[in-house]
Amino acid sequence: MRTRTTALAAITALALAGCSSGTGDSATSAPDDAATTEVEALSGALEFMTGTSIDSELYLAYEDITEAFESANPDVSIELVPSSTDHEGEVKTRLASGNTPDLWMTHGWSLLRYSEFLMPLTDELWAKDVNPALDPAMRDGDGAIYALPLDVDVAGLLYNADVLASVGVTPEDIRTWEDFTAACDEITAAGKTAIYTAGKDRWPTGLFVDWIAPGAYDEAALGTQADGTLVPESYQVALDKVAQFRDSGYFNPDYTSATSDDISLALAQGDTGFSFLMNFVAVTAYTYNPDANVGFMPIPSASGGDPYLVVGEKNAIGISSTTESPDAARAYLAFLAQPDNGSVLAKASGSAPGLTTATSDLGALQASHDAWVGKVPSVPYFDRVYMPNGAWDTIVSTTEGVLTNQMSVSDAMAKVATDFDSLTAQAQS
Amino acid sequence: MSINLFYVPALLVFVALTVYPLISGFQMSFTNWDGYSAARSFVGLENYARLLQDTTFRQVLANTVVYGVGSTLIQQVLGLALALALDRPMRGRGVLRAIVYLPVLVSPVIMGTMYYLLLQYNNGALNDLVGLVGAGPFAWLSSANGSVAIIVLVNSLQFVGLSMIIYLAGLQSIPEMYYEAASLDGARGRQLFAHITLPLLRPAIATSVILNLIGGLKLFDIIKVLTNGGPGYSTNSVSTFIGVTYFDAQSAGYASAMGIVLFVMIMATTLALNGLLNRRRLDS
Repeated sequence: MRTRTTALAAITALALAGCSSGTGDSATSAPDDAATTEVEALSGALEFMTGTSIDSELYLAYEDITEAFESANPDVSIELVPSSTDHEGEVKTRLASGNTPDLWMTHGWSLLRYSEFLMPLTDELWAKDVNPALDPAMRDGDGAIYALPLDVDVAGLLYNADVLASVGVTPEDIRTWEDFTAACDEITAAGKTAIYTAGKDRWPTGLFVDWIAPGAYDEAALGTQADGTLVPESYQVALDKVAQFRDSGYFNPDYTSATSDDISLALAQGDTGFSFLMNFVAVTAYTYNPDANVGFMPIPSASGGDPYLVVGEKNAIGISSTTESPDAARAYLAFLAQPDNGSVLAKASGSAPGLTTATSDLGALQASHDAWVGKVPSVPYFDRVYMPNGAWDTIVSTTEGVLTNQMSVSDAMAKVATDFDSLTAQAQS
Repeated sequence: MSINLFYVPALLVFVALTVYPLISGFQMSFTNWDGYSAARSFVGLENYARLLQDTTFRQVLANTVVYGVGSTLIQQVLGLALALALDRPMRGRGVLRAIVYLPVLVSPVIMGTMYYLLLQYNNGALNDLVGLVGAGPFAWLSSANGSVAIIVLVNSLQFVGLSMIIYLAGLQSIPEMYYEAASLDGARGRQLFAHITLPLLRPAIATSVILNLIGGLKLFDIIKVLTNGGPGYSTNSVSTFIGVTYFDAQSAGYASAMGIVLFVMIMATTLALNGLLNRRRLDS
């Protein structure tokens, strides 16, 4: 599939603009040279697991931009592979079987999980333009980066401002968990669901830990945990909060059968005050109700510090270290990284751009973005940095066990501790 | 010694799709492989020792037994009752048999989805119905025990047609003269059933029980669609928990150890049941 042929040809201006390989031996000259310089043409077939569904705005944007790249590079063909609901499982299976795709969306794990399979991209021209907020999640100790970030996942507590206003609360009022629970009590008393979450999709439940835990650790405890020793008393704060929310009746009664779409719907219809989920849920909410008044706000700190936002890698693309067409793959990424294309892709994903050279209109969420981003501290996704690789399922299942009262907090903590140690040992062996 | 070459294709498929994965899984169960990276270390019996101490696995194992035994019991009782009812001459018998059997032909994923749509909290058909009498809505899938019971019921109702067909075949193989002879001796309804029908149905019972039990112990699709193993881990079967452990928890070695335990469990159950039911058949 990935035969690489070479030929001498003049490269079109469009393609050359996208080619920014620092080390490649193929077509990477500047557009102005195109008419006069004969260089080795890009060629090869690339398979790109996009990690997004075939009907998403992002996939459609990929199609348009890829078509333009292929027109400019007729000897390169790129197969876009849309995602099912289990992109992660598909990628792992492909890696395990040795049938590695040339490019894939790294869904937050370009560094910690996939870097051993990926080509370092630190020398690419776009690498210096990566949003610095992504450095903790995407660069290793030497500053190496393994994927092109198309966007930045900036997340906080999602809220419906109309619901909050109906009980006399504004997002700016909520700076502590006490403020938050007071608002939840008011919303519950008004007959609405205070916190809407989804058990059918399972993964949203894990975000309670990702959102709450960072504020429960001090720097020393975070360092201890990053080094492979669980700090249970800090972790437990998140589960205690979930148990408190449960006992106070804040959660939606259809938790078990609800999906993330149901959360969007509840936010859109003003049936809920809050949700612990990423912004794509708010974007979907606006498709249900363009007049909805949904935004995001910083997360209170359990240790009394400043409220914070969670920032992490979202749609980022890495190149397999074993691809047979590395030059074509790098040129393709460089093409995606061009300011115009980067802006289109970031807008399609509904997020802030991953490169400082691109811009993105966040639509209805722009107001929240302008109000908070850069003005409050940000923390990385807790599970990606401070929990061992593979711990996500444990986080989700134990949190869900507590949320549904099928597990006591102590039983959940015992399971977290066992799996933490086991996965840490697995990673260190 | 001659080898019938017609066996070879089937043998190749069996070796490639059953024997090789089994051996490969057995080897993997002695490693700490994460399921995708190149590195893996030999850890001896560590995964099996961990299984003994894993309370979640114990819960999952108990669920699996409930799915297997519960589904088997319901399917035998309902399947035999339906077979007895639909073995009698009556109008529309063929249509009724087809209606009972049709769900067997439907994918469990589709069946699970249909029941999910019936049972879901918002806009679920069942809640709409109870809403007509002013009750509910209820979160039918919110408790562990309730969800396990629903899964058992859904699985049983889907495959009751299989038991019915097996029992119908068994009933039709019983010569009428036994009933006539027993009737001449004064035997009636229950006596005929207990002393003729049931003993002569033992081969059918053995087949149906073993098939249903294996199906129940391997239950996967309906759980994934209805509850996805939740809430928490509370409705997982060993099969679904293997998937979660292998892919989500990135513990392929540990998941393989679970797979070996499931394999041994199903094989031991099948051999024991086969032995038991065959012995009784020979005794009778």
